[in-house]
Amino acid sequence: MTSGAGIYFDGSTSARHRVTVDAAPEALRILDGDGTVIAAWPYAALRAMSAPEDLLRLGRLNDPSLARLEIRDAALIAVIDDYADGFDRTGISERRTRARVIVWSLAAAASLVLVAVVGVPMLTDRLAPLIPLTVEHRLGVAMDAQVRALLDDGKSEKPFECGTIDTEMPGRDALDTLIGRLERAAALPIPLRASVVRRSEANAVALPGGHIYVFEGLIARARSPDELAGVVAHEIGHVAHRDGTRSLLQAAGLSFLFGIMLGDFTGGGLVVIAAKTTVQSAYSREIETAADGYSVRLMTDAHGDPRALGAILTRIAGAIEPGSKILSDHPQTKDRVAAIDAAAASATASPQPLLTPTDWTALKRICG
Amino acid sequence: MTVVEAAAPELPDLPAASAARFVGDRRAYWRLLIRGAVLLAVTLGIYRFWFATELRRFLWSNTEIVDETLEYTGTATELLTGFLVAIALLVPLYLGFALAALSLGPAGQLISTLSFPLLFFLGQFAVYRARRYRLTRTIYRGVRCHQGGSALRYAVCAVFWWLLIVLTMGLAYPFAQARLEGFKLRHTYYGNLQGRFDGSGFRLFLRGLPMWLLVAGPLVFALAFSVATVEWDKVVEAAISTGSGADFINQLETAFPAVYTAIVISVVAIAMSVLMTAVLFPVFQAMMLRWWLSGLRFSTLTIRSDLRTGAIYGAYLRFLWYGLLFLIAEVVAGVAALMIANPALAALGKPDAAEIAEAVIGLGLYVTTMLGFSAIYQGTVKITLWRSGVESITLTGADALDRVDAEGAPSSAVGEGLADALNVGGF
Repeated sequence: MTSGAGIYFDGSTSARHRVTVDAAPEALRILDGDGTVIAAWPYAALRAMSAPEDLLRLGRLNDPSLARLEIRDAALIAVIDDYADGFDRTGISERRTRARVIVWSLAAAASLVLVAVVGVPMLTDRLAPLIPLTVEHRLGVAMDAQVRALLDDGKSEKPFECGTIDTEMPGRDALDTLIGRLERAAALPIPLRASVVRRSEANAVALPGGHIYVFEGLIARARSPDELAGVVAHEIGHVAHRDGTRSLLQAAGLSFLFGIMLGDFTGGGLVVIAAKTTVQSAYSREIETAADGYSVRLMTDAHGDPRALGAILTRIAGAIEPGSKILSDHPQTKDRVAAIDAAAASATASPQPLLTPTDWTALKRICG
Repeated sequence: MTVVEAAAPELPDLPAASAARFVGDRRAYWRLLIRGAVLLAVTLGIYRFWFATELRRFLWSNTEIVDETLEYTGTATELLTGFLVAIALLVPLYLGFALAALSLGPAGQLISTLSFPLLFFLGQFAVYRARRYRLTRTIYRGVRCHQGGSALRYAVCAVFWWLLIVLTMGLAYPFAQARLEGFKLRHTYYGNLQGRFDGSGFRLFLRGLPMWLLVAGPLVFALAFSVATVEWDKVVEAAISTGSGADFINQLETAFPAVYTAIVISVVAIAMSVLMTAVLFPVFQAMMLRWWLSGLRFSTLTIRSDLRTGAIYGAYLRFLWYGLLFLIAEVVAGVAALMIANPALAALGKPDAAEIAEAVIGLGLYVTTMLGFSAIYQGTVKITLWRSGVESITLTGADALDRVDAEGAPSSAVGEGLADALNVGGF
């Protein structure tokens, strides 16, 4: 039988009681100065509470009163430790819990990644068609204003949109002819709003709600109406697939998934952004491949040359593309061209000129 | 179980003024931090509930006030549950914001604009609730601390004061702190012992004013200077009348040379202000901690802190030094990893794999850097703030702590979860 000094708090007041602790085999007995037993705690109910290294702080399991017994006597602590197997002085059960936490966290992380890569695009593919066209239209109007402000560098003295002043009107008419032909073949549920803007890059963008912006630089570098039409058909593909809305939904879904679930541990912010960029680039590459496929079909239907898209892509991109593949939002050009040519080979082409030479010359001068 | 108070052995007479100590071992704390950082990285941050609980247990149980240490009884499972509940509450809110922005046009825009103040409000609510959770998990001498008061009211007050702080360029900060701490302490109890906050906002204001002048002074001067010397209305007129940017710049040079002086002065002022902020931040932190500790009251118990600013400076210097060493080690490790992985994969004829390896190594380095710096910050600055804060205090009338009756019940951890999800977490 071992006994020693301890300090006891009865849980109903904060008073310190100097007590004698008696580690009897049947229970841990707490005695006051007179040797009267104040309390007897069975070993099975004992819990070691958090305390400094050299102190054993005991409480009882499921005791709402928070009574505590504190012991500093090392020999006495060892005896109590032998009797009570409910508490974890060596930390074995803590280590076991930690291992379980790690395993489950890894499983949770894997499921998170799976949801991000597979679940979110699946969900947005099904959600996007459910969003009413009127909503998409309003979204398009809002984005249109922002994108215009972003693109308009105000360098030119002419209006930002080409084809609006008298000398450029014939070009505008030619553009309308070209777009009209593609639009008829595409049979979209919403009207297209295509315009040419004064930007020197060879590019075109599509926004939700049928807005398509063709940059001046693209018209300058197109060698035939079919090349220009191929790019426009690719953008019409984005409109038809409602990619603008889909990307918005995907971005929102990913922000939510990575942002909230990962929480705010230090450095999480950039990991979230990196993960989002990587996954979003992967989505985007799929979307671009689908739009290329759409362009091939639409150009075939409109009796244009479906291979012209590949030709202009090769010319614009050059032979080598620098930059990281997993962060790029477009697939590599040579892969795109190969896919376009493969799809165009199976198409039964009966090319008819998309524009008369006069119209094409006018369109080339749409920006003066 | 009966307790015979009178029969308890006599306690030694406590001196009128008693002290507090921090008995924790620095190396044990570093071990916790490093293990936590590794596990955070491995589990994508999910370990943070366990990590926070471990750190709190260590800090609490090694803080000794009048010969007794505190005890933290919170568990990681509680934090995790609180977080999941908070997520469940926030998901519909975020969804509502997203839908409103998508469909309602101008009304949707209004809701999107309101989302920031709303989330700030919710954050303050969470801060108060999280404090309640931590207090009710704090046990001292077998008696629980607890917190009453309405978190909604606190959030309203906090939003009001923060608005005032922004509008007064920080001058309202001392008064805001005095009022908000007053609110918190008034509703803080140790058992049946009610807290009080005695710190004076005005005294803090006077002490902080020189610092404010050093930081905000250059900015105010630059603003006043540019308003006084440049005729801005004419510059704007000129900007509107000239078509292109280049023309406007040309015209500026000839017509308004004062604009350039004003720009140079502004840049210098901003640089000075940033420098002053960096240099004075430890002083500010020490001043705030000293003021806060010295304002704490529980019935007849009063606390005084003589925290030295030098201790906080020392902690920041240690942080910079360890950080530098860590960064050098990181760069060496990163370069070595790239030099081994890249040629190896390229030699195998897998340029794609090499590119992915590069990205993975980059991301890995970033994560280790962030987690490493966080650990170094906690191991130097945070622990010093805690330890020096605890050791700087002198308690008078500590016998008030001997006759406290138990009161209060544990509260839920949803506040902690909200604070975590909204990124406003405290300890």
